[in-house]
Amino acid sequence: MPKKSRLTFKILCFLISIDLLETVAQFCFKKSALGYAQLEIKSFLDAIHFVQTMIPSAYLWLGLLSVIVIFIIWSTILSKVDLSVAVPVCSFSYITVPLVSALFFHEKISFLRWGGIGFILIGVILVSMSSVHKEESR
Amino acid sequence: MIYGIFVIIGLIALTDACDTISQLLLKHSINTLDVHVDTIRKALRFVLRLVRSPLVWCGFLFSTVSLGVWLFVLTKAPLNFAYSLDSMRYVMIALASVVVLKEKVGAVRWLGILSVVIGIAMVAAG
Repeated sequence: MPKKSRLTFKILCFLISIDLLETVAQFCFKKSALGYAQLEIKSFLDAIHFVQTMIPSAYLWLGLLSVIVIFIIWSTILSKVDLSVAVPVCSFSYITVPLVSALFFHEKISFLRWGGIGFILIGVILVSMSSVHKEESR
Repeated sequence: MIYGIFVIIGLIALTDACDTISQLLLKHSINTLDVHVDTIRKALRFVLRLVRSPLVWCGFLFSTVSLGVWLFVLTKAPLNFAYSLDSMRYVMIALASVVVLKEKVGAVRWLGILSVVIGIAMVAAG
């Protein structure tokens, strides 16, 4: 048990790669759904039919592949660190998504949002520190 | 209107609770397997063992329910409001980690989690 619950740089990189893959997956799902946007969804059966028509879409399968890879990486991470560490550190996407929207779609980042990004960053650093510190004190 | 808001808050709490249960089941299954993964081959073998656990499938079920409720919430409430409140999942997961998984969460980690929650609420509202 002594080596468990330690947040190393490698695990941090894996956690960030999950955020990136999550973005890829969402992008693929949106792309595949847009191809069939003319279908109207009014009932549960319509929703099933909608998913059925999406089956030939390559984007859908690319998205599903991303989800499977995310699950493999996430399980591996959880075999090494505490759940209460992995989950908050994985909140990076709340920082990257506004930054990417600002960079590529020229969206404005409000003062409040910058403050929020700062809070998340401080939080992630504190949680990471709490995990490393625990290891040293043993 | 007030009634509606309380229903929405309750539903958001429900998605987060389902998500928390799903994560707990996954983490618990991983803890009971107790493996050391250091290569991709070992990781794949580990995940193949993991998906044979009924608890993990139970977790997938909770994830699906969570997604369904979340999609319903999004049809009723504005995205920024829903997203801000959704950050309560971090507190739920931390609490559940302490109570169910017996993880030790010290003051620094609690402070960090609180900071993340405040940050997400601000990003979503801004």
